[in-house]
Amino acid sequence: MTSTALAEGASLASWLPEGRRVSFGSEIHGRIVDALFDEASLLDSRRFAEWISMLAPDLRYTAPIRVTRTGAHRDRDVMRTMMHFNEDRPSIVQRVGRLDKNCAWAEDPPSRTRRFVSNVRVFECATPGEYEVGSYLLVKRSRSDNPKCEEVTADRHDRWRWTESGYQLVLREIIVDQSVLSMSNFAIFL
Amino acid sequence: MQDPVGSDNFVLSDGCTLDDLIDLEMNEVSLRVMSDPELHRIEMERVFAKTWLLLGHDSEIPEAGDYVVRSMGEDPVIVARGKNGEVHVSLNVCPHRGMRICTAETGNAMVHRCIYHGWAFRPDGSFIGAPIEKEQMHGSKRSKDELGLPKARVHLYHGLIFATWNVDGPSFEEFLGTQKFYLDMLFKRTDAGQELLGPPQRFIIAANWKTACEQSASDGFHTLTLHRSLMVGDGPMGSTPETIYDQAPGMYGVDISSTEGHSLRCMPMDKQFTSFAGMDFSQDDDALLQALPPPGLTPELALQAKHHLSPEQLHLLATNPPQVGGMFPNVLIIYIYVARPDGTMSPALALHTYQPRGPGKFEFFNFILAEKDAPEELKRDMLENAIRQTGTSGMIEQDDADTWPQIMRSSYGPKARKSTLKYQAIAGHEIPDGWPGPGLIYEGFTKDDTQWNWWLNYHRLMSTPA
Repeated sequence: MTSTALAEGASLASWLPEGRRVSFGSEIHGRIVDALFDEASLLDSRRFAEWISMLAPDLRYTAPIRVTRTGAHRDRDVMRTMMHFNEDRPSIVQRVGRLDKNCAWAEDPPSRTRRFVSNVRVFECATPGEYEVGSYLLVKRSRSDNPKCEEVTADRHDRWRWTESGYQLVLREIIVDQSVLSMSNFAIFL
Repeated sequence: MQDPVGSDNFVLSDGCTLDDLIDLEMNEVSLRVMSDPELHRIEMERVFAKTWLLLGHDSEIPEAGDYVVRSMGEDPVIVARGKNGEVHVSLNVCPHRGMRICTAETGNAMVHRCIYHGWAFRPDGSFIGAPIEKEQMHGSKRSKDELGLPKARVHLYHGLIFATWNVDGPSFEEFLGTQKFYLDMLFKRTDAGQELLGPPQRFIIAANWKTACEQSASDGFHTLTLHRSLMVGDGPMGSTPETIYDQAPGMYGVDISSTEGHSLRCMPMDKQFTSFAGMDFSQDDDALLQALPPPGLTPELALQAKHHLSPEQLHLLATNPPQVGGMFPNVLIIYIYVARPDGTMSPALALHTYQPRGPGKFEFFNFILAEKDAPEELKRDMLENAIRQTGTSGMIEQDDADTWPQIMRSSYGPKARKSTLKYQAIAGHEIPDGWPGPGLIYEGFTKDDTQWNWWLNYHRLMSTPA
């Protein structure tokens, strides 16, 4: 499966889990939104060790590329054969380890980031205590003395698991909206 | 006013000439080249419309009618497979009213119909006709033959798709020159050849294309400082902040280049990565290729290399494999071992092209490859490795993406634009004892020679009228 042209290699961006809806305003929905907001705050303030403690040992963290298509296959534009991120928990730890080295120049001086999380939809999973969570993400990123912020928008399809230490992220697929990214690198997490 | 593109020695509107920009005696290049809009227009004509350019890979468009849309500098093109399996590259601009013909990035079509007025073209670029044939809406002043899309000359190099607008210019073999001997070691070493693992990552860097491209010409020295995170701490190349400049990991090897501006860094892996330091490098070539195959090959696949390469090429592949380098004008080659999170070393193969988007931006294409016959598990590893180390989120290349825009911004001021990029650490071409290959060879500590050769070829093309 290496063809770029083959539509079968791509899938729809739209997302609707089969499990029962956990409504906005319910206690579980509220706690999951708390977890997403806490996560955004930890990443914006570069508290990576605390963020990593929110990641499950069996984490999968990916960001497939988008392509522009027309015609019958126009909505099959998420290419999972190629990604911007293709991570597990150890590789996230490796990335954070690099950022801690005092010579990871892409983030030294660090970006000033602001993550806006919205449109949170929660669904029950077959496994009790696990939830499918969709959210929209807007990241504004200010670099150095450049007054123009870089930005990226994405839909995120997560699975969160309730544990003794709170909600942990088990699965995240980041569906970015750009086929050609305007952000000069992903030295930040989404 | 004289057209700067058409004359031998162009003169910019303030009187500046190529000799003012590139000082051949001093090995210096004016920083002004990193943002000048007038110069950019000349570069598009004299460099990007004249030389061979990498557009993609054969494996992306396996079936008749398959196509991808790419660009040759600022010119958008359709790269399509015709009905007999041949690959065509045609300008993606409708000859009728200038609309983009393919509005998708990829797909399959035996007819490309412009959505504006419906003019239609075959995958080979030839004009089929305009709607309402009896009304002859393409007129009578030009024949249908004349109304086909401008076609580039195409060459497939072991699956890599190259094209040039200079249809009567140098052949692809002439373009590679002596570098072919070394590039074959990377691209022509297994029976089935290589494939892309998916479409390219694409992103925009707010910098002039040359900031990335002069570095691609085997700037080994920057690794020691810009990519220090590979070395300090648990980095795969060893060293500490105190010893890094004494030990200089990855700096010693043999740099290769050619008068065409291509280059590669050939490095013995024991001098590069701490985890290979204990290996016996006195073994014969066959044993070495089995014990430590070059990045991307398994021991089984390394056996296949014997059918495709000469004993001289195999000897270099075993002892001094080419690992990073570039092809003039805008290709980076990165065929390396990288550290997995568990500390083991595993391969990553990637090619980048840097396509100009005006003088102040370029688009970064990251193509990730593997040998077609590599085991699926290895391909999965290589995809992970390449994504984690190169391109959009790559831990190595994040730092480059942040450097290039700052070089360009440095070039705006009236004082700074007159300062120069210096390529004066010159080793000089000398063939090491027993070296089995052709080309311009620089042994020892990596210096500025290969990058200066890139600028010499840039100078040569920029001195040749379009």
